[in-house]
Amino acid sequence: MEIIKTIDLEKTYRDNAMPVHALKGISLAIKKGEYTVIAGPSGSGKTTLLNLIGALDKPTKGKVFLEGEDISRFSRNQLGELRLNKIGFVFQAFNLVPVLSSLENVEFTMMLKGIPERERKERALAIMQELSIDMLADKRPNEMSGGQQQRVAVARAIVNNPSIVLADEPTANLDTATGSDLLDLMEQMNRERNITFVFSSHDQQVIKRAKRLLTLKDGKIVEDKMIEG
Amino acid sequence: MLVKLAWRNIWRNARRSMIILLSVIVGLAAIVLYDSISVGMIRQMLDNQIGAHVSHIQVHNEGFSDNKIIQNYIPDPEKVEAAIQNTPHIRYYSKRVITFGILSSAYSSSGISLIGIDPGKEEQVTKIKESIIEGGYLSGKEHEIVIGKQLAEKLEVGVGDKVVAMASALSGNIGSEMFRVAGIYRTFSSEFDKTHIYVNLPGAQKMLELGNNISEFAVILDDLDQQQQIKTQLAAALNDHYEVLTYKELLPLLVMQVEVYQESIFIFYAIIAVAMIFGIINTMLMSVFERIREFGVLMAVGMKNRRLFWMILLEAFFLGTLGTGIGFVISYLLYLPLSNSGINLSAFSDSLTSFGAGTTIYPVLTVESVISALLVIPFIAVLGAVYPAFKAVRLEPMNAIRYV
Ligand SMILES: Nc1ncnc2c1ncn2[C@@H]1O[C@H](COP(=O)(O)OP(=O)(O)OP(=O)(O)O)[C@@H](O)[C@H]1O
Ligand SMILES: [Mg+2]
Repeated sequence: MEIIKTIDLEKTYRDNAMPVHALKGISLAIKKGEYTVIAGPSGSGKTTLLNLIGALDKPTKGKVFLEGEDISRFSRNQLGELRLNKIGFVFQAFNLVPVLSSLENVEFTMMLKGIPERERKERALAIMQELSIDMLADKRPNEMSGGQQQRVAVARAIVNNPSIVLADEPTANLDTATGSDLLDLMEQMNRERNITFVFSSHDQQVIKRAKRLLTLKDGKIVEDKMIEG
Repeated sequence: MLVKLAWRNIWRNARRSMIILLSVIVGLAAIVLYDSISVGMIRQMLDNQIGAHVSHIQVHNEGFSDNKIIQNYIPDPEKVEAAIQNTPHIRYYSKRVITFGILSSAYSSSGISLIGIDPGKEEQVTKIKESIIEGGYLSGKEHEIVIGKQLAEKLEVGVGDKVVAMASALSGNIGSEMFRVAGIYRTFSSEFDKTHIYVNLPGAQKMLELGNNISEFAVILDDLDQQQQIKTQLAAALNDHYEVLTYKELLPLLVMQVEVYQESIFIFYAIIAVAMIFGIINTMLMSVFERIREFGVLMAVGMKNRRLFWMILLEAFFLGTLGTGIGFVISYLLYLPLSNSGINLSAFSDSLTSFGAGTTIYPVLTVESVISALLVIPFIAVLGAVYPAFKAVRLEPMNAIRYV
């Protein structure tokens, strides 16, 4: 089943004097359970593509289907609702709310969904145990290392059972060993829970471990290959 | 959780929150003190006037208040007295003869308002007896007179000295009478002390050829707020030949001053509000700009605009209520001793005594003032956060995340 499908996606940024054609016709489909890395040089449009898939932004042209539904025409509020229910995000850094503990950060999206406090706590703790970060439950972001923070961000991204988790350069601020641990974690979630992951990265170790590698250049897909594990 | 989040957010930059808190505290304290001092001053001015002479309600012959001549006496005092006695909620009343005249000593003379009173009844209605500072009050003996401190100084007389009062009698002849100073009083107002002299009612009636007639009934009610209702009752019991006037009608200037004071409170609130709002807009904007990236992440993971908006208002609300709470405690602690000891303004005493408030102002904090300050100040704080909150929700999540 296709979780994501884009048709002839174009994005042009016009806030500067010169319009920037960040994406120039991207058509792709991502199936449930895939583990995809979008690679490409800086400025090739990786973040732009993830933002469109993640309902953070609207395309200039073309369509984005999430689980068969055309989200290109959604309103701001509908997009917010969609992100809350169907998409998990892991950003490069500063993912967490500084004044909340890890546990509360993981609970946060469940709070937004109106899940009662007890259930919230249970589910947050359960996922943190599964990711072996339950000992961080009471820590605030500034009391944790970058790698620990990213793990908590992964916990937050998957706790609501999203259709897809999008991670924009999740290892960019981590050293190799820590980045590798984080990737182990996400691979484990992909394997055990069949969660669909899409990354963007220039990090070679991320790219090496991809099961599907999409390469962008100048806003176009130049390569799309499946890598057999 | 949103509440928890907002509460913790305000302590992220403790110094900035302290600045807001401080401005709220100062604003609240300024309002509470200003309000209580003005209310105290108003009350004192009213109490002084009512207590010195005016009383709550006066009954006269029709036209007396416009033309205080002796010919405007009450022709049927028994009827009026009966009406007063039959009206509920009237606690005390006194009968007075009032006219303008001249009081002379061996050295000097002065225009005065001569008031003939029944000493026993008058002491229940006004504070003249309490205000005696030398000698004694009227005892009912013939030829006694009580005069004010200022007048005594002007006429260069003391207790026991002789003075002569002259005034136009009913027939138009000049009535004159010799009195001996029984006592000297001093009230809140030097102006009042210079012009009001008290003699026994029968002596005044004789001097003015009034017989048993009088000029005025002065009435004290159980409760000042009943004045309108009792005025109506009394007026109904009497006929058109009488005028029944409340203190508000008798002191129109003072009543106007009270209104001016009440309006000045609103202006004061407005000034405080404007100062506070700009401070809060400024600091909340800074706090929003510092968190742009964070808000971007919050919106990206699905936080709706409405929630984000409320979170920021909630932060301001916490600061506002916290500041109000602390500010109220502080200003109450300042107010308590002041309300007991009063604020001594004797440095400006001359202008104040003629102003009618006395040299020491006792601040009065009313429940209404407390409630309005406690409600208005947090509301102003929240109002100041509306614009910054609006700015925050206008952010586009993907731009906010890119923002460093
Ligand atoms: N919000 C924006 N406004 C204007 N131009 C933008 C915006 N976002 C991206 N761009 C431009 O669009 C192009 C693609 O940017 P994008 O961030 O998608 O690239 P990227 O592949 O993620 O790069 P990097 O590896 O540096 O993160 C770049 O030229 C960039 O400058
Ligand atoms: Mg990027």
